[in-house]
Amino acid sequence: MTREPVTRMEERLYRIYMEFFEKAERERRWSLFDDIPWDKVNKDCSDDLALCVETFASVEMYLPDYVASGINVVRPWFGRAWWQANWGYEESKHSLGLGEWLMRSGKRTKDQWFDHYNVIAEKTWEAPFKTARQMTCYGAVQEQATFVIYVKHRDYARREGDEALYTLYDFIARDEIAHTRFYQEVVTALLEEDREGTLADLAKVFAEFKMPGVDLVPDYDARILQMRDQGGVDRDLFIRKVYLPVLKFLNIGRHEMLAAQRKALQDRNDERKLAEE
Amino acid sequence: MSDQKDLLGLFKTVAERVDRRSFETVTRESVITDLGVDSLSMMQIVGEMETELNVQIPDEDLVEIVTVGDLCSKVEHRLV
Repeated sequence: MTREPVTRMEERLYRIYMEFFEKAERERRWSLFDDIPWDKVNKDCSDDLALCVETFASVEMYLPDYVASGINVVRPWFGRAWWQANWGYEESKHSLGLGEWLMRSGKRTKDQWFDHYNVIAEKTWEAPFKTARQMTCYGAVQEQATFVIYVKHRDYARREGDEALYTLYDFIARDEIAHTRFYQEVVTALLEEDREGTLADLAKVFAEFKMPGVDLVPDYDARILQMRDQGGVDRDLFIRKVYLPVLKFLNIGRHEMLAAQRKALQDRNDERKLAEE
Repeated sequence: MSDQKDLLGLFKTVAERVDRRSFETVTRESVITDLGVDSLSMMQIVGEMETELNVQIPDEDLVEIVTVGDLCSKVEHRLV
């Protein structure tokens, strides 16, 4: 790939990353070993709680694919490539922490946990969108949705009397909202560069959005039903806590999205019809 | 009553345009999620109805919409 001189956009993305990284280093770092009150794991908690933890962990365990895919898309851009590496570090703690909880709570043995990883590793996650800009829009939406779900399940952990899991979910949720803000800052810069094109990509992402574990995690549909019972994202929550907040942060009015959304929905519906035929 | 019918008719027209299928049997009592309309299509239907009628439903009211009648009522309220 031919390397061009550093552009203002590259400089801006680097600055966004450095601001994110400074805040992460100064205010948001947490230790899996020192900051989780592991002695407050509730070994009498329900199997349903454990199933939800395992589902979160399962989605997080596709990390090698997320990192490989993401870093290759943004490799030529310094700030974004380093972001991807840092993101991978932060996300790696999530699956490790959730796995630790499953074992320390006695809900899964070490053998079960490793067997589960082997099942997970049989499938490969592939990026749902083709371009770096579309994947950035996807990140802005997906991280927001993930944050909302972790917050709901943090409350579920407290209801089950598990302070260790509550604390772990709290740290993970803080990471997820920080990731959301990074992606949204980048989308803001992309909107300034090409508003029409970025709106089209954002609309495409909303139209075709699905969480990363779909079609990958074993028994996903049954797991999601259980997750929703305890705090998943249904239609109202998606509108209220994901769609509208993302648009608000990006300073996009609902009506500004209509034209781009119309095309994105038509494309999606045409593709679905084609697939059915 | 005729205004109600017109809004229901407008909902069907817009929904058919957005989702590219028939909504002929829909009534005001129909629950929108039961119609197989997803979050984004719902937002598109609301936005296009607002545009056609030159009204705007506040964002905080959107989550109160469960049935087609709820949406029509929100629009009617803004038309008055």
